[in-house]
Amino acid sequence: MEMGIEELPGEVTKVVFNGRFDIAGAEAVDLKMNVIAGSKKLVLIDMQKVSFLGSMGLRTIVSAARAVRGRGGKIAVFGPDQEVEKVLTMSGVNALVPIHHDFQTAIASLQ
Amino acid sequence: MIWMTADSVKSASEERLTLRGQMADLALVPGWIEYLAAEYAIPAKTQYAMNLCLEEVLSNIIRHGYANTPDRPILIRYKAVQENSSLLVIDDEAPPFDPLAAEEIPVEQTLDGTRVGGLGLRLLRSFSTSLDYERTPAGNRLSIGFSSAP
Repeated sequence: MEMGIEELPGEVTKVVFNGRFDIAGAEAVDLKMNVIAGSKKLVLIDMQKVSFLGSMGLRTIVSAARAVRGRGGKIAVFGPDQEVEKVLTMSGVNALVPIHHDFQTAIASLQ
Repeated sequence: MIWMTADSVKSASEERLTLRGQMADLALVPGWIEYLAAEYAIPAKTQYAMNLCLEEVLSNIIRHGYANTPDRPILIRYKAVQENSSLLVIDDEAPPFDPLAAEEIPVEQTLDGTRVGGLGLRLLRSFSTSLDYERTPAGNRLSIGFSSAP
C-alpha cells in the first residue's frame, strides 16, 4: 500500500493511503506513520483509496492516534468506503478517530 | 516461491486452499476469495467479510498457534451452504486454542489502555453470522458462517 503526505493550510498534515491496508500494507507504512504520529499535531488520514482495512491496519491507526492525542494533538479519518467504515465503527476506533465524509468538516474538526 | 507452497482444489461440494503457515501465504487469500466470488456469485460485502475474517484468523494461527514456525499446514474450506449463505472452515494443527473464548475487552479499555486484544474477536463477530470452534484430533477448527440477505 502506498502512503503520501501533504501539508495543508492550518498546519494540518494529510496522510493519504492508497491500496490494501492489510498486514503487508500496514508493515509497508508502519515506520512512516510512526514518524508522523511522533511529530505532527493535526493529522487527517485520507482513506478514500483504501480498498481494504483489516485488524493490523486498524492497529496502525490506533497506535498513531494514541501518539498524536497523547501529545495533545488531533486526528481524524476522511472518506472511508462503506466496509472500511464498518471496520472502524464495529471496532469502536471511530471513538478515538472521528470519521468524516466532507473534507471541509474534516479540516474544521482539527482546528 | 510463494505459489509453490499452496494448493487450491475444487471437489464436488467444497473448495479447498492449503497454506503453509507463513505470513507471506496470506497474500494468496484475496485472489482465492476473488475466484470463489466469481464461481459462487458472492456479493462484495461478503467477500470483504471473508477477507477480513481470514486475515484475522490466519495471522493468529501463524503467529500464536504456530509461533511463526514455517511449513505448518492450514486448511481452508469453502462451502456454499445454500443460496446467499456460505461457510469458511479453517483447520490447523496447533495446540488447543479457542479464539472465541478470548475475552472481548470493552472498547474504552481497548483503545486507551495498552491492550489491543479483543479487537480481532470483535471484528470477527461483527463481520460473520456464525462462529463455531471445535477441537479436532490434529488441532483446531473454526467455522465461520456468512449470510448475505438479499
